[in-house]
Amino acid sequence: MSYTTFNRNEFDTFKQPMFFGEPVNVARYDIQKHKIFENLIEKQLSFFWRPEEVDLANDRKDFIDLPEHEKHIFVSNLKYQTLLDSVQGRSPNVALLPVVSLPELETWIETWSFSETIHSRSYTHIVRNIVPNPAEIFDDITRNEYIVRRAISVTKYYDDFIELSNYYLQLGEGVHTVNGQTIDVNMRELKRRLYLTMVSVNVLEAIRFYVSFACSFAFAERAKMEGNAKIIKLIARDEALHLTGTQHMLQIMAKGSDDPEFADVAASCRDDVVAIFAEAAQQEKEWAEYLFKDGSMIGLNKDILSQYVEYITNQRISALGFDPIFESRSNPLPWINSWLNSDNVQVAPQEAEISSYLVGAIDSEVDTADLGDFDL
Amino acid sequence: MSALLKDVNEQDEFELSADAGDQPAFELEALQPESDHEAQPLQAELYLPEDNAENPELPPQFEFEGMARPVFSVALDDGRAVRFQHAHSLLESLEAQDVDVHYQCREGYCGSCRAQLLEGDVHYNTEPMAWLNDGEILPCCCIPKSHIKIKL
Ligand SMILES: [Fe+2]
Ligand SMILES: [Fe+2]
Repeated sequence: MSYTTFNRNEFDTFKQPMFFGEPVNVARYDIQKHKIFENLIEKQLSFFWRPEEVDLANDRKDFIDLPEHEKHIFVSNLKYQTLLDSVQGRSPNVALLPVVSLPELETWIETWSFSETIHSRSYTHIVRNIVPNPAEIFDDITRNEYIVRRAISVTKYYDDFIELSNYYLQLGEGVHTVNGQTIDVNMRELKRRLYLTMVSVNVLEAIRFYVSFACSFAFAERAKMEGNAKIIKLIARDEALHLTGTQHMLQIMAKGSDDPEFADVAASCRDDVVAIFAEAAQQEKEWAEYLFKDGSMIGLNKDILSQYVEYITNQRISALGFDPIFESRSNPLPWINSWLNSDNVQVAPQEAEISSYLVGAIDSEVDTADLGDFDL
Repeated sequence: MSALLKDVNEQDEFELSADAGDQPAFELEALQPESDHEAQPLQAELYLPEDNAENPELPPQFEFEGMARPVFSVALDDGRAVRFQHAHSLLESLEAQDVDVHYQCREGYCGSCRAQLLEGDVHYNTEPMAWLNDGEILPCCCIPKSHIKIKL
């Protein structure tokens, strides 16, 4: 089925599955098949924020005073976060929009990706504040072997799916010969790759990101880099929503409620799901080793962060209805909860263009002559 | 006609006096503290409930005789037992009684506090957005409707 930007077929919008049904035509939200995506859109819109609203002046001073090994931890963590959001700012759109079939889900995907671009823009805001030349940090993301290794593991499921789905969109199902290569495009394999992509996205947002949040908050726990922590709190609030969206998609697929074949695909992928979670946990532990290679910081070291990796991996995989894969333990970083909670994020009003300021500016331009013979 | 006018006036008066309540003044200074930020981590400014959710200092405003709030027992699968009476959510109640629960949003969209309901029933104050598997509850946005047993 080739993609069309406005499907002119007549069909019942609300009988479509989430993916691989009719391409969406009218962007309508009056009735939803899965109301959850409409709720997620509303919530995400209410979370809108801009990086410049967070003042980072003190962070610059803090950063200069950090010992070298802590600078390494901070900068490496920031590079990793930049990589993850670079991927998330485009991939849900590129991978999922061509095959989505419900208007509310299509708009959730776009809203979700858009919020990731705010995260990316906030990293530039942070980097500009701590180093005179941002290129030294950004350029290293494609050069540093530790970061590149992470990039491969976070993108391979997306890329495998996109490759096959591109053939599907151009050529349809069947066995095709392209440039002398035999390409077998079948729906079952497309759905398998899509399901595993969603699992890997969930691992990215619900595990990898949370490990990086722990590092950001460990600085703020010692009253260092607090502006950065405020930004990370706002990012964490968005990510909590994203991981919920992905858990819903995965569980709607697994239940087969709108596409029975997906239930079958999900059932046959259970071992792969466990493997993806286990592999990511292992990679995060190796990353912890790299972060703390020159020394630990007060409150956080390789072992504690690895324990957090196991803890959060167990939490996330059981949310999908799987058994925990590590020995169960309590949260080794109990202080992280109140950092992750965003009730208290405040931004400076004078930096944001709050409308009450503009109203004040207009009022003050009233000419006394306009008041005529008003008796004052 | 005059009766109508009178009513309208009274209404106005009522609203005025209601408005004159404690509207917080706009405090610009409070939002921009002087930067001797070495002293305290940001953590100190965090909003967390100050008083004990299960032992409120002030008695509830409308307490009728013979109509005290019901007390429900909350048993944990590991043998601990607490009670629920005054808190706004099961999560607050557990925290007030030193039971640690993982949390993030505290309003139903992140799913961090997800727990298993082994016995009893709960009521949701707001509909949770997080995915819940069969038999799971979100303590941050529910209260017990009966004695309950949960697994964190
Ligand atoms: Fe993000
Ligand atoms: Fe995200």
